[in-house]
Amino acid sequence: MEPLVRIKGVSKFYPRINRPRERLRAFASLMTGNEITEGAEVLQDVSLEVNPGQSFGIIGENGAGKSTLLKIITGVITPSHGSVEVNARVAALLELGAGFQPEFSGVDNVRMKAALLGMSASRLDRHLDQILAFADIGDYVYEPVKHYSSGMVVRLGFAVVAASDPQLLITDEVLAVGDESFQKKCIKWIESFLEQGNTLLMVSHSMYLVQKLCRQALWLHEGRTREIGDVFPVTQSYLAYHEERSAAESRQRRSQRGDSGLYRVSDFSLVGSADGKDLEVAGGGDLQAELVLHSPDGRPPVALFGVMRADGTPVYGVASDYDDIAAEQLDDHHYRFRIRFNSPALLPGSYSLRGHAMDPQGIRLCDTAELRFSVSGETREMGIIRLPHSWETGE
Amino acid sequence: MNFLTNNVFRQLVSRAIRTDYLENLTGFAWLILQPLILLAVYAFVFTTIFKSRVPDAGMGGFVPYLAVAFWPWTAFSEAVLRSSNCVSANAALIGKVAFPSELLPLSTVTATFVMNMAGYLAVLLVLQLMGAPIHWFGVILALPVLVLLYLFACGLALFVSALQVFIRDVSQILPPLMTFWFFTTPILYSSSVLPDRFATLMRFNPMSWYVERLRSFVLLGNYDFSLYDLAIPALTLLVFWGSLVFFRRFSAHFEDFL
Repeated sequence: MEPLVRIKGVSKFYPRINRPRERLRAFASLMTGNEITEGAEVLQDVSLEVNPGQSFGIIGENGAGKSTLLKIITGVITPSHGSVEVNARVAALLELGAGFQPEFSGVDNVRMKAALLGMSASRLDRHLDQILAFADIGDYVYEPVKHYSSGMVVRLGFAVVAASDPQLLITDEVLAVGDESFQKKCIKWIESFLEQGNTLLMVSHSMYLVQKLCRQALWLHEGRTREIGDVFPVTQSYLAYHEERSAAESRQRRSQRGDSGLYRVSDFSLVGSADGKDLEVAGGGDLQAELVLHSPDGRPPVALFGVMRADGTPVYGVASDYDDIAAEQLDDHHYRFRIRFNSPALLPGSYSLRGHAMDPQGIRLCDTAELRFSVSGETREMGIIRLPHSWETGE
Repeated sequence: MNFLTNNVFRQLVSRAIRTDYLENLTGFAWLILQPLILLAVYAFVFTTIFKSRVPDAGMGGFVPYLAVAFWPWTAFSEAVLRSSNCVSANAALIGKVAFPSELLPLSTVTATFVMNMAGYLAVLLVLQLMGAPIHWFGVILALPVLVLLYLFACGLALFVSALQVFIRDVSQILPPLMTFWFFTTPILYSSSVLPDRFATLMRFNPMSWYVERLRSFVLLGNYDFSLYDLAIPALTLLVFWGSLVFFRRFSAHFEDFL
């Protein structure tokens, strides 16, 4: 099967052109064909093949080169090195504004955008009503785009893209500005687009969205490919990377703060987990955790536990003061809480347990620690938790 | 020339015409008025103050002689000046959508020519009504000359707009250069009043061929043909082609410099 996109060893280098002299020098190097040496390298040696029917999520930190990569694939920018081959009708929605010109009305911009996407005038006339209906911004389409909210711009941009019947859709974190119902509409559209065997390349910071829409993922880190493959392992290691980073940051913050100050978590563990590994609980098995809190003034703090699904959806939370539980004092400054969730009703999947340190009044949340665990088992039930139920059989 | 059928190109042209001319009410009127006022000023200065006589002005006198050359020059210089910064002005489009960016200068030149040629036709009609001897067969012959002039403007616009991305000063240098070019082209005067030395030099200025050919066709009904009439069109096509190559060679790097 011929891949739709094949890029090989692509690098992108931006010459430094802040001052007129640098500009001129960069231009002179262009004229003579010399290599420009001063500047910023935003992509280094990235290769990617996208086959028809695939859906690729491109993830990474800000400035990792995600948008640059998409722009190279769409042909907006030319790579400094490497080759790009695209064999598909591409529709791209890059950044907010989508190439709209603010002085012109929505309809004018739709015409322009449609022309840029390769739609003929007659095809656009046939689809115009459908586009306006999809965008659903009412009479605003006759107003200049500069009066639009960012969500309206995206609505209009996406509506044109949807009508242009692409084979490869490229989006760059634009859906995030749409409101809930429009996002749902777009996601539904993309899902049916993919079901028809089309191909998607998207940049997003929402791992939830990436996991929902993509089956493959590419993790860019500082302009290089860090990991590429199936969406779940790649997004998980990306999330783990962030976890580590923020943990390192908060450790640093804590050491700067010293021992004085706030109530904080000094130890948090799940009973039964081996060092450095996420605990795996069998479905229906008990979950036990131990939380040691540090109290700078010796008063007993309040502990709060929260269970969340891996994407951050809260499942259940409970604090020691709700249940009038007194802490177990270890020494002048340390208090221990132990909790057991008796055969929790969690369905198989990845979860995390958070332990929070709160002040003795249970008002202020002072510190947080998080541990991940998974619930194993196989079931066809849907959702997060199993609700106790019984079937009425009519006898 | 396949850009003429391109849908994006058509959108850009209609957009340019609407914003630059039609959308402000006075725009279209200015298009006719501005050259008319300038024409009146020049006519007054040259016929009344300097009392200059143009030897080969024909029967119509100085005003038709000036007008026939002045409008095409205005179209040409306005097209080049307007398009000089059209690439950087559309940086937002270039950075976000993939499309052949040469359509930007080409559409600017096209819009300017479309509007100015409408004005030109109106002026020729007015001149005819005022009794100037307009040779309408010559006007038809002038069409290919105007098309060549359009291509010449396209060529320069492509070159200048690409250069402007890399060297910002281009849009500052260009207006005085165009003024200089205006006075070194026999628009206000006839090249026959020049000393031989300059008259020969003048033949290397493509614009002098354009204005003199238009005059001889439209005003004098002189349809003589010489090798010179092949040289300038050939040069024009060369400029157009060379500029297109130049533009395409460097358009890949626009995004880095915008």
